[in-house]
Amino acid sequence: MAARRGHGSGTRVAPWAAVRRIVLALVIVGCGNDSASTSYDYASSRGAALYQQMCQVCHGETGEGGLGPVLRDSPRKHAELRAAIETRMPANNPGQCTGECATQIASFIEQGLTTSARRCDAIPPGPRRLRLLTRREYGATVRDLFGDAAPVMSCARPTDCTFRDTCGGTTCAPTSCDAQTFVFDPQGRALSSVHVAGSFNGWAGTVAAGGLPLVYANGQWSGTFAIGEGMHQYKLVLDEREWIVDPRAPASVPDGFGGRNAALDLACTEPTDASSHLPADNRPAGFPFDTDADSALVTTVHVDAYLAAAETLADHAATRKAELHPCDWAGQGATCTHELVEALGRRMFRRPLTDDEAAQYGALATTDVATAIQALLVSPHFLYRSELGVANGDRFRLTGFEVATALSYTFVGTTPGEALLAAAAAGELDRTDGIERWARKLLADPRARDQVGELVLQWAGGQSVLTADKRADLFPGFDDVTRRALANETRAFAAHVVFDGTGSLDELLVADYTMLDATAARFYGVTAAASGPTPYADGRRAGILGHASVLASTAHSDQTSPIRRGLLIRRNFLCEDLPPPPPFAGGVPEVDSTATTRDRFAAHTANPVCAGCHRYIDDLGFGLERFDAVGRWREQEHGAPIDPSGNLNDVERLGTGTSAPYASLPELAAKLSASAAAPSCFTRQYLRFSRGLRESLAQRCERLSIERTFEASGRDIRELMVHSVLAPSFVERR
Amino acid sequence: MKRRDVLRGTGAALLALPFVRLLERGAHAHAPSGNAKRLIILYHPDGVPGPSSNGEPSAWHPSGGETQFTLPPVLASLQPYRDRCVFFRGLSMGPTDVGSHPGGAKKLLTGVDGGNGISIDHHLAQTVGAGDPFRSLYLGAMANQNGASGDKHISYVAAGVTATPDDDPAAAFGRVFAGGGTTSGGGTDPRVTRRLSVLDRSKAELESLRSRLGTVEKTKLDVHLEAVREVEQRIGNVGGGGGGASCQAPSIDATGLGGSALYAPERFPQILRAQIDLMVQAMACGITRVGVIQGSIHTSELIMSRFMGTPMYDPGFDMRSHQASHYGASHDASHREYQAYVQQSTWWVDQLAYLLGQLAARPEDGGTMLDHSLVLSCTEVCDGNTHGHDDMPFILAGGGSGRIRTGRLLQLGYRRHSDLLTSIANAMGSGITGFGDASSGGIPGLLA
Repeated sequence: MAARRGHGSGTRVAPWAAVRRIVLALVIVGCGNDSASTSYDYASSRGAALYQQMCQVCHGETGEGGLGPVLRDSPRKHAELRAAIETRMPANNPGQCTGECATQIASFIEQGLTTSARRCDAIPPGPRRLRLLTRREYGATVRDLFGDAAPVMSCARPTDCTFRDTCGGTTCAPTSCDAQTFVFDPQGRALSSVHVAGSFNGWAGTVAAGGLPLVYANGQWSGTFAIGEGMHQYKLVLDEREWIVDPRAPASVPDGFGGRNAALDLACTEPTDASSHLPADNRPAGFPFDTDADSALVTTVHVDAYLAAAETLADHAATRKAELHPCDWAGQGATCTHELVEALGRRMFRRPLTDDEAAQYGALATTDVATAIQALLVSPHFLYRSELGVANGDRFRLTGFEVATALSYTFVGTTPGEALLAAAAAGELDRTDGIERWARKLLADPRARDQVGELVLQWAGGQSVLTADKRADLFPGFDDVTRRALANETRAFAAHVVFDGTGSLDELLVADYTMLDATAARFYGVTAAASGPTPYADGRRAGILGHASVLASTAHSDQTSPIRRGLLIRRNFLCEDLPPPPPFAGGVPEVDSTATTRDRFAAHTANPVCAGCHRYIDDLGFGLERFDAVGRWREQEHGAPIDPSGNLNDVERLGTGTSAPYASLPELAAKLSASAAAPSCFTRQYLRFSRGLRESLAQRCERLSIERTFEASGRDIRELMVHSVLAPSFVERR
Repeated sequence: MKRRDVLRGTGAALLALPFVRLLERGAHAHAPSGNAKRLIILYHPDGVPGPSSNGEPSAWHPSGGETQFTLPPVLASLQPYRDRCVFFRGLSMGPTDVGSHPGGAKKLLTGVDGGNGISIDHHLAQTVGAGDPFRSLYLGAMANQNGASGDKHISYVAAGVTATPDDDPAAAFGRVFAGGGTTSGGGTDPRVTRRLSVLDRSKAELESLRSRLGTVEKTKLDVHLEAVREVEQRIGNVGGGGGGASCQAPSIDATGLGGSALYAPERFPQILRAQIDLMVQAMACGITRVGVIQGSIHTSELIMSRFMGTPMYDPGFDMRSHQASHYGASHDASHREYQAYVQQSTWWVDQLAYLLGQLAARPEDGGTMLDHSLVLSCTEVCDGNTHGHDDMPFILAGGGSGRIRTGRLLQLGYRRHSDLLTSIANAMGSGITGFGDASSGGIPGLLA
């Protein structure tokens, strides 16, 4: 045990270290390099996992210290460490880790936080895993595999189409969300008028009173009207006299008079696709992205949703089998069926089917093609991205197909296309140069822009702009259209920086422009550029922190929250975490409609008990008070001028005692850009997003290597993306 | 036309299904077993006005003797059910992360200090509920607000991994009652046959894949396999006894709950009621016997001052749940936050009373559903300002088919709440001797 200890080098200042003890340690350990101590096996260390959970937030990831003291290369013995943990830790509420917990953490501190343990001789392999398709990935994948799932039918008459479709001459097309087509077949009966009366026009009994008139042509009465979103009820009125239920409406409700009304629910939200019934992805605490694979478990809700979506998709796909696989279906039905299964299976499993799979699915398809397709769609080989590899010595190596899958989802967020699968089959992805070539190719794909947009929007926590409550009277006009425009501003900005600009993290942080459409421009009160970037002409904003999506997501419905804004920057931009508040921490600032937010919070942070942590949060967030709860600029709050000063204190590591005051957002952005912590954190965040993994010390060496390359490349985000898939642990697993 | 649209349309105001379809579902009549027939857990966020920082006594916990106790004003709406309730003093969730909302939420239904385990509803789903069409049901009211997930949710399907509640009454209705558009009528429905063979294939592949994996990944597939088995069983179950006497044609008021209305704070009371109604009706029809209803999430931004028709209503001022819960150091009735907090807490108790009333209104086996049910009301911290994890404000209600000695205030000194979860599991018919990480068995004297 003692042999694993690092050298108790007397250079470390430790009040308790006695010279005698150091000499003793040196005698026991010897000063030779113990060849048995290859880098510590962090991956299988229970103590490492406990340390990460309970100690890291104060003592640092590698014991480098922070809010708490340094633990690296501790000269303390196991028993001492264990006793300290059991009786004094965590500092604000001791006694949470005793017995086995304390023993394991003590062992880890002794063995895993030493200089030699932290040596980066070799990059350990990554974990073998299965990664469930996220909701986004699932939606993109089925769209790419099957196209629009809504059946496109041919029509001779409007009534040939389904209720929500319109016959455009020869084909049925989905009606626009803000219009509804009504069609009535009088079955030969002669009528003088047919109109629609419902909840949207006060049940108008006549056309003159506002009834929506249908027009007679080719044996049908029809008309298309914009009746707005919402749940409506209506009847058809014949000859302004006879009220009937629309026979084409598939749903009806009692009308309160013994009859029934047709029911219609119109919603202009995102078109429902196969992924819309899936539950939202699980995001663990401190993980900004929707990609964490360890918390993506399939529950019955998922199974029900997968089954239902698969049924719709399979039924539709089966009617288009000739399109999906051109073949002599009439003459060679059985062969064509088998070929279809193999081709579709290959695309869906993202690798060729095994003989057994081909036989099993082939048998299903012979009975019914739709059943086989439905089965493929709920198969774990479809739902999970495999990163298991094949045995290669004492570890595993990803197959070319697994690499293709990982590359495709990482760069373009969807299933690998035919060319990429062919490259995998040809062995191109078994070599690093092939991986690099394909990574760069995928980066050049237009869909990579959407993927980067999503990365940055999630990294900056801006997606909540779509849903956060905002007081309508305080922020009139902050409607769904505006919210979407602001989220798109962040996506478009990110894509522009990375693909059209320098591609650097610095530009993301300090850019003197953004990307606005007309709606977003109207919100900010500026004129959008005709095309391309719109400059931040007034010097008030810079980069991504100036986006209303970010500022609105970190505010309440009626006021700003310096706490949330400060925490966003600490956690997402600097990867500096803070421990939870202790019990009896006390209140939030009182409601006071005459004081500014800063004044109200100042009392909260003047308290020395709270200030220990809150000076890192509030002081940072106060500097953003010029931006109100929806991200608009304001000069004053409740008639009092706003003090825009803040402090990016201890930017590189908490507890170092540095101060970096700023007085404007561009200044803050510049300080972030100048730090070493920001690019280091961005690397870490990117790896979380792309690997779907909450990192542990096992990945540290590799991450340091990627960070160095990132810095050396001028913080080029494209290069970061490419290098992260060239890292050894990308293909090597255990 | 998607199934969901059909359901939405059918009774745009009221979600309703013909009674006869329910009999065709594989719902079980519960053979009398002497155990509680069902458990409903009702959660609300951000604690209660408990013992204050300044040392004032709790304004929420009842006081008095074991059977001679009085309910404080905030619990007044429970007065009609007083004799069917058990109140507790001294239940603790353990010391880890005390002071933290997520820390409390992780321990709440898992009974594990530090929160690494499955929750009680999943344990019961896998044991006493294993034969039901839905082994358990997890419903929410704005519990996925702003993309909330992870430790904002309280039902743990595996250590450290939560399930996602269904926030949409219309969608939940469709899933639970319409069974995805299929009935199990004798298994002759071709779609049912197809779904079964598809799930069968899926299971075989999961089992084969599982054998190639390490422990963590195996757990992932185990959870997936269990989910597939549950759905398969539900779809394939033919016949069955139908529901009990209280299984009526369900109807849920989902008027106007489309799209973004699902997260409009003024709709919250309606949504919570719809979910409570749905849960009670699902249980009346034997579709499930284990349910969790999660009202909002910890550190809740829910603007309760938007609830019309309540004392909290104030269109000119936004009072959020979490904001009110941090009322300061003392129970100061002149203080705006404290006033709001008491009103909010009272409102949550009213919802519990509503749930109990719905159960009490339905006859069952010579009594009512309430007589044969267990209801657990809970929140993730004790006092919202101090964030303590001791003296937790659990309420256990319902007769549990006579398994529970009700009408009591139990002074427990210091006892881990995992003992309460153990007793609940036992009352439901699970033989477990210790749930979570406490091993002292159940709460002495709680079970009859």
